[in-house]
Amino acid sequence: MEWKISSLKDLEHYFWRCTACGTCRSAYDFGPPPITRPICPAGTEFGFEGYYSSKGKAAFARGISDGSLTFDDPEFLEAIYKCTVCGGCQNQCQVDYKPHIPEVIEAMRREAVKNGAGPMPAQKNLVQSMKNYNNPYQGPRRVRLDWTRPFKKAKTPIKDINVEPAEVLFYVGCTGAFNKIAQAVPQATARIFQKLGIDFGILGESEVCCGSTAMRVGDAEEFKRVATTNLEAFRTLHSEKGVKTIVTSCAGCFRAIKKDYILSSEYNQMMDGIEVLHTVQYLHRLLKDGKLKFEKQLPWKVTYHDPCHTGRHLNKFRVDKDGSELWEGAYVGVDESECLYDLPREIIKAIPGVSFVEMDRIRGNSYCCGGGGGVMTGFTDWAGKNAGLRIQEGMETGAEKMVSICPFCYFNLTEGSKRIGSAMTLHDLTELIDLALPD
Amino acid sequence: MTEIPKESKVDPRITKKLREIVGEKNATAAKHIRYAYSYDMSFVKPKLPDYVVMAETVEQIQELMRFANLEKIPVIPYTAGTNIGGLCIPERGGILLDLKKMNKIIKIDAESHYAVIEPGVSHGQLAEALYAHKLRFGWPVGPPSASVSSCAINHGIGGLNARYGLNSQEITSMEVVLPTGELVRVGSCAIVEDAWHSTLPLPKLDGLFKGWLGGTGIVTKLGISVHPIPPFLKVFTVSCDNVEDMYSYMLNLSNYEICDDLTAVSWWLAQVPIPYPYREKPDGQPEWFSFANTNSFTQKEKEAREEIWEMVVDEEKNKGTSLKVTQYPEEALRARTQLPSQIVGSTKNYCKMAGAGISWPGTFTPANKWAPVYTEWKKVLIGHNLSPSVRMSMYRGVHYGMLRAMIPFNKQSVDETENARRAIVECLKIDLDHGGIPYKPPVDFGNEINKRAHPGYLMLLRRVKQMLDPNDIMNPGKLAI
Ligand SMILES: Cc1cc2nc3c(=O)[nH]c(=O)nc-3n(C[C@H](O)[C@H](O)[C@H](O)COP(=O)(O)OP(=O)(O)OC[C@H]3O[C@@H](n4cnc5c(N)ncnc54)[C@H](O)[C@@H]3O)c2cc1C
Ligand code: SF4
Ligand code: SF4
Repeated sequence: MEWKISSLKDLEHYFWRCTACGTCRSAYDFGPPPITRPICPAGTEFGFEGYYSSKGKAAFARGISDGSLTFDDPEFLEAIYKCTVCGGCQNQCQVDYKPHIPEVIEAMRREAVKNGAGPMPAQKNLVQSMKNYNNPYQGPRRVRLDWTRPFKKAKTPIKDINVEPAEVLFYVGCTGAFNKIAQAVPQATARIFQKLGIDFGILGESEVCCGSTAMRVGDAEEFKRVATTNLEAFRTLHSEKGVKTIVTSCAGCFRAIKKDYILSSEYNQMMDGIEVLHTVQYLHRLLKDGKLKFEKQLPWKVTYHDPCHTGRHLNKFRVDKDGSELWEGAYVGVDESECLYDLPREIIKAIPGVSFVEMDRIRGNSYCCGGGGGVMTGFTDWAGKNAGLRIQEGMETGAEKMVSICPFCYFNLTEGSKRIGSAMTLHDLTELIDLALPD
Repeated sequence: MTEIPKESKVDPRITKKLREIVGEKNATAAKHIRYAYSYDMSFVKPKLPDYVVMAETVEQIQELMRFANLEKIPVIPYTAGTNIGGLCIPERGGILLDLKKMNKIIKIDAESHYAVIEPGVSHGQLAEALYAHKLRFGWPVGPPSASVSSCAINHGIGGLNARYGLNSQEITSMEVVLPTGELVRVGSCAIVEDAWHSTLPLPKLDGLFKGWLGGTGIVTKLGISVHPIPPFLKVFTVSCDNVEDMYSYMLNLSNYEICDDLTAVSWWLAQVPIPYPYREKPDGQPEWFSFANTNSFTQKEKEAREEIWEMVVDEEKNKGTSLKVTQYPEEALRARTQLPSQIVGSTKNYCKMAGAGISWPGTFTPANKWAPVYTEWKKVLIGHNLSPSVRMSMYRGVHYGMLRAMIPFNKQSVDETENARRAIVECLKIDLDHGGIPYKPPVDFGNEINKRAHPGYLMLLRRVKQMLDPNDIMNPGKLAI
């Protein structure tokens, strides 16, 4: 299987399009009323221009490419990992660098890994764990099924798709499976599926990490290994077990399969006949078809946090490939139709009793929880601190609970809430749905 | 190949002292941090600072200046670095002082119509805060994240220049740390601690810190006038086939002083983005477009402005000029009237096509010289394969104003950058010889200004600089004296 993963050299033309105008430092909207908010977690924490947004990342990339900056400087190495790859900066930029910003950040990391310097020590453990256990949490394979215990106890076991066929594969993801706090997410998802009588199965112990974390920290080789394994497994499940839909509750896995796996030369062939959906998309369809019917009241005042991976990371950028529209490589426009902005909000609003309030920074300008891009592993303290900022923003709306659709955000924001001594609790949207459905 | 900044000398003793002053996390000599401050979008060659410091308090700045003065280390104040003139690129290394963390809006006096801000307050941030009081300021056609005070103290130009004057004319008071570390105040706040409403009727000492390109002190607080937002907006747009006709219209209309902003742009500047390299204007397209922003408090006031404008248009048509009432290209109009603007802020309409580089001969030029200067600029720019993307704006109550050519270029290429630099400096010389004066001038321009300057002016400039900055440590070299 061939993979088309860009090197920093391939992207040189694009990071040289950055004007250093600094517009990416904050999310600004003319309105009226006008609104300006910080958008870059790294800049907010570390302050110097190099850390700030895509402007700073273009500076680093230029420094690497002209030989001024090298990975043997440990401070520099750290600096390229002190970024959550959230794409908040990308949302502000309007020049031809825009479509390639996260790619440039990750290409620098790939360069660091190639040089034997990257990733950060804690992230190296994570990649090693992927090699050893097929998950980044150093968890033995059998632990992957821990979250299913309540189902066994209740005598409502979940199908093992390796054994029994099912149309829907619920791809759990490593965070939901191994992270004790985030286990609430697959549990709620599975309960909903059971309540709705959906024919679904899981890979159980044989599930392999999607590779997102490896890709985000620059280990393209490890990413390719697991992604290839998964693509092959998906194909087999389709042909042998009748899988037509892969559903995941993990924003990271969803982003990886939708945006990183397509870098494979065989993606179309492997995924032919298989649809990949985030749980929210799957359940929203059922809501529209009248099959998801809420009965119970949920008297909660909630706000919603858009995860980067189900939001702006799913932007589809239109780039003029051959110069027929503007010029070769020109950024032409962005299509946000695949970003999951409206669906979760529509579901939240459909739940009886829920009162919904928005934060200032939402949708494309959502403020990252601080856990992405390997930061939760590499710089745990900063990740929690940043999550506290987001919780604070949520509290300012008067909401008591923050809802999201990513186990990573779920965990990190929970940490953030604890850290600032907030009473705000985190909830995956599936938990709300589960509570509002009849038993 | 691109230009690589030369390495500089770093002394760990200095880094240690800087950390003592501003805290461990706020001072560094790390190369990657310095590298990100070594260049901007202009043609000015990259140069590395030796240290980067972020200050959070006035006291820290004072201590820093005392130390730098003692050690004779240059200090370069920086807020966002978007000045388009390489003004924050250190000529002689030293300490790059990033002030973005000092971003408090200290006061908005909605009754007396002034605000007091720290240097790191951005246009976007202030626009939001003022809007809550239905107030506004003259936002430049630049990045929303850039500093309000840095724009004002360097004679920046905002969208209300035809109504209230340049942003530096809006300054009402200042607090400044001198290069030697003393804290001074000018304007009413010098007499009554909390009075920031006016620099008059005291001697106008604010002139010691305006237009000096960060060369005489560090502004730590700035009072500025702010103005009510009249609810009725009307933008009058016309086009002309030549610069002479456009000048005639602007001169005529400006006599009535009904506009917040009276600007004309050449066809090349009206494109989003500016064509790079030069492309011929299609036949049949007008060469000049103008937008005249007016804001009125009542419908009747708006109609009165319309009446004046219609009269001017009739007069100009009767003169037989090529003036036509036209639509200004939609995106370009939004970019210039919905300020601060992310479209221009992110340079989409300027250098999206060229790539990374932009510089300007930006000048204050007598309006009756606009047409001849433009005609010569056009030849020079086209000769260098660059678009003559020129803007003319009439200032408040006078017949002089901004004449500037926004010149994008491909900064990745040293040759293309040098080509742009040559063309721009050539244009600048033409303008200077017609009586124009460049604003926020890069050193190349400073040299040209000073070549033509009265010796008494240069002597005075040196004397004032020497008095305030005896060791020449404040952004040294930028004034080219
Ligand atoms: C696309 C584009 C369009 C623009 N359009 C306009 C326009 O229409 N009108 C306009 O006026 N400008 C314009 N600008 C220039 C610039 O964006 C503004 O003037 C801006 O507000 C400058 O702020 P800054 O934070 O970038 O200043 P910087 O570049 O950081 O600083 C500017 C100068 O001030 C000095 N300085 C900074 N802080 C202090 C301080 N506290 N005390 C003393 N000296 C200090 C610096 O040393 C430097 O010499 C434009 C820029 C771009 C990129
Ligand atoms: S990344 Fe885009 S918005 Fe940010 S400085 Fe560069 S050009 Fe401006
Ligand atoms: S991706 Fe996010 S954290 Fe990284 S530079 Fe951009 S805004 Fe900052």
